Amino acid sequence: MSKPVHLLSALVFAGLLFAGSLGAADQCLICHTGQGDKPSALFRHDVHFLKGIPCSGCHGGNPNAAEVEQAMNPKEGFIGVPKGDNVSRMCAACHSDSARMRRLGSSLPTDQLESLQSSVHGRLSISGSERLARCTTCHGAHGIRRVKDPLSPVSPLNVVRTCAHCHSNAAFMRMYNPSLAVDQVEKYRTSVHGTRNAKGDVKVAECASCHGSHDIHSAKDVKSRVYPTNIPSTCSTCHGNAAYMVEYHIPTDQFEKFSKSVHGVALLQKGDLGAPACNSCHGNHGAAPPGIESVSKVCGSCHALNADLFSASPHKKVFDEADLPECETCHGNHEIVAATDKLLGVTPEAVCSQCHSPEENPRGYAAARLMRQLTDSLQSSEKRAASLVSEAEQKGMEISEAKFKLRDARQARMQARTMVHAFDPKKFEEVADRGLGVAGVVQVEAQQSVDEYYFRRVGLLAATLIITTLAVSLYLLIRRIERKQRALNHVGRRT
Amino acid sequence: MIPFWKRAYNWIDERVELEGLVHFLGKKYVPVHRHSLWYYFGGVSLFLFIIQVVTGILLLMYYKGSEELSFESIQFIMSKVQFGWLIRSIHSWTANLFILAAMIHMFSVFFEKAYRKPRELTWLTGMLMFFLALGFGFSGYLLPWNELSFFATKVGTDIAGVIPVIGKLVMPFLRGGDEVSGATLSRFFGFHVAVFPGIFAVFLGIHLLLVQRQGMSEPLGTAKEGGDEFMTMPFFPNFLLRDLLLWLIVLNLLAILAVFFPWELGRKADPFAPAPAGIKPEWYFLFVFQTLKYIPAKLWVVDGEVLGILLFGIAGLLLLLVPFWDRKSSRGQENRFITYLGIFIVLYIIGFTILGWVV
Repeated sequence: MSKPVHLLSALVFAGLLFAGSLGAADQCLICHTGQGDKPSALFRHDVHFLKGIPCSGCHGGNPNAAEVEQAMNPKEGFIGVPKGDNVSRMCAACHSDSARMRRLGSSLPTDQLESLQSSVHGRLSISGSERLARCTTCHGAHGIRRVKDPLSPVSPLNVVRTCAHCHSNAAFMRMYNPSLAVDQVEKYRTSVHGTRNAKGDVKVAECASCHGSHDIHSAKDVKSRVYPTNIPSTCSTCHGNAAYMVEYHIPTDQFEKFSKSVHGVALLQKGDLGAPACNSCHGNHGAAPPGIESVSKVCGSCHALNADLFSASPHKKVFDEADLPECETCHGNHEIVAATDKLLGVTPEAVCSQCHSPEENPRGYAAARLMRQLTDSLQSSEKRAASLVSEAEQKGMEISEAKFKLRDARQARMQARTMVHAFDPKKFEEVADRGLGVAGVVQVEAQQSVDEYYFRRVGLLAATLIITTLAVSLYLLIRRIERKQRALNHVGRRT
Repeated sequence: MIPFWKRAYNWIDERVELEGLVHFLGKKYVPVHRHSLWYYFGGVSLFLFIIQVVTGILLLMYYKGSEELSFESIQFIMSKVQFGWLIRSIHSWTANLFILAAMIHMFSVFFEKAYRKPRELTWLTGMLMFFLALGFGFSGYLLPWNELSFFATKVGTDIAGVIPVIGKLVMPFLRGGDEVSGATLSRFFGFHVAVFPGIFAVFLGIHLLLVQRQGMSEPLGTAKEGGDEFMTMPFFPNFLLRDLLLWLIVLNLLAILAVFFPWELGRKADPFAPAPAGIKPEWYFLFVFQTLKYIPAKLWVVDGEVLGILLFGIAGLLLLLVPFWDRKSSRGQENRFITYLGIFIVLYIIGFTILGWVV
């Protein structure tokens, strides 16, 4: 601990001793109240005053001395008004001391200063000499009240205004984070949370509910409660608590469903920061459940092509008339599972069959059946092509061109899956035919490679037979020549 | 009726007097002894070189020597050109077998001390051709412009760069710049298909001329074993037909290798990608590469890698000049030191190549 902190701690402790042991009236308060001093008037309602902590607890000096010279004498420990970060240190002299807090009957946590200093507000201000925020920035100085006290600046109903004091001040925010929006309060007031908060509902989310209080971090910081991968658990703190949410009459299984969804798996298990979290669809400060009209806009902000195709499809009008949410009707909302081909078609598990039957809607039924048939054909054709390419590759054949074309077949299948949202069998057939064509070409090329592999072996066998015949003939020729040479040599010797 | 081939022979003979050459070939004999087998490796090397020239010319019809097209052109040869896969695989396999055959030929000559007087020039030209063969291998390895060849060339030219005094000049000369790039590929292509073949052809001509002129050397001591006419065989047709028989077997071996183990192309080189793990040079450079890995970075005040390069350079030079310092063999005396040195070199190369392969 640094020297100033030791000094402050001693001051506070001495002040408390004076007040406690002497039980005398606080001369500081008597004089300052007499002078009509505003801080002293506020201090009479301060939680610290009510706990018996005198002015000298923070300012030092002798609260029993009637004379100003003696009461406010530096030799008596008087320090005047604490400045800059000394304010937070002064508060922490008690609030970070768990034994002292226990003696005062408090069960508050004692890590506020550490949390504040490591938070985004604990960074140095532009002056470079002090941190951005100190305790009094949010809690006030002489009229500090319990957080639950409706008059406290950090009570659920007031905290938004307190945060907005800086965060809605464009000139101030520009000095520290010019890219950060300053309209959070305006947006918040339009949200379900904001409107309920304005009506006096202390249970709905306010700034501190999502961002934290002392331990606020930048949204880009992985430690932040509003970092993309942390958002679902932050929201579910309330929205997953059935007892807490009972009066709001909304489901509380969203987090459970979202965790299992394709989005939840991508975000929470694979750590894909591009995957949507709660705020991606509901908004953050202006959070609201998307309406029937807006749900496709929400999904369409990422799935743009699907949304465009749907808007131009015959389903658009029918859905609007039936008051059905566009994407949600087939895909669900929080528990959106990976869209497999099973969703399409006329089998009982297909979503199309929920509305289309051969009797009531034969056209739609036929279209759904055709699209599913083509999708299945595409998939099996691509699978067959991939298997042949793999076989040719395993046989050591050069097949990179066919392998590259296989990507086109896969691409066509993906396009076909997107084209489903147009609900137009003709358009779907065009894309599917292209994919089937490419897959067919790949199959032919890969099959040729496999055939070539066997042709090479047969060719090698033929070549080996020819070479062996030649080699044997040559060997016999050498033997015949050498036999003749030896015979001649023998005749030569004898003669 | 005179047969056609006889009339054709007579027609040529009238103009260039073939009789002398035929008489010379008819009188040419090859010694026969228990080490005669090694004579065939010269012929095998020649045959493999001829295959390289033929397949190389065929590849040239489709190969494009540029950074953008070389990989794709070989892909095209392997997949689209009729029998392109066979030509490319045979070219690659032959390159390796050629160096192996040349190495066996060189060491057989070394152990038989066939380099001794009067065949010093035959040895010199042979050794220079062997060095050129290594150059062929090094330059040809880069031509497919795939990942392995790119990084192996990078490592290889890095090593060339640490040669004392001339290293700083040699490396940019080989690379055509500071880094291995398209300029290196163009350069290596030029060396591989024009510069090296040109020089090689001159040395090969001299080498074959000397072999024909001086005949084949008999190892020291083998002359004592016989002494009659059965200790030699006519070069034509006996030795030549045996050569042809061996060539046929080698040709079949190449076809089997090309069909069962087609030479892979790998992935196209990406100069910006990190080097893949386990980059190794071709097997014939592996013992040098492995040795350099074992030498400490600093030995006293000398850089370990520089010292290694210097030692290999000196060893190569001593091997090249062996006919001039092995006076004992030239005098016809048995030189056991050379034999032991040869055994050490062969074991060293085999040992460190295996180590380089396994580690």
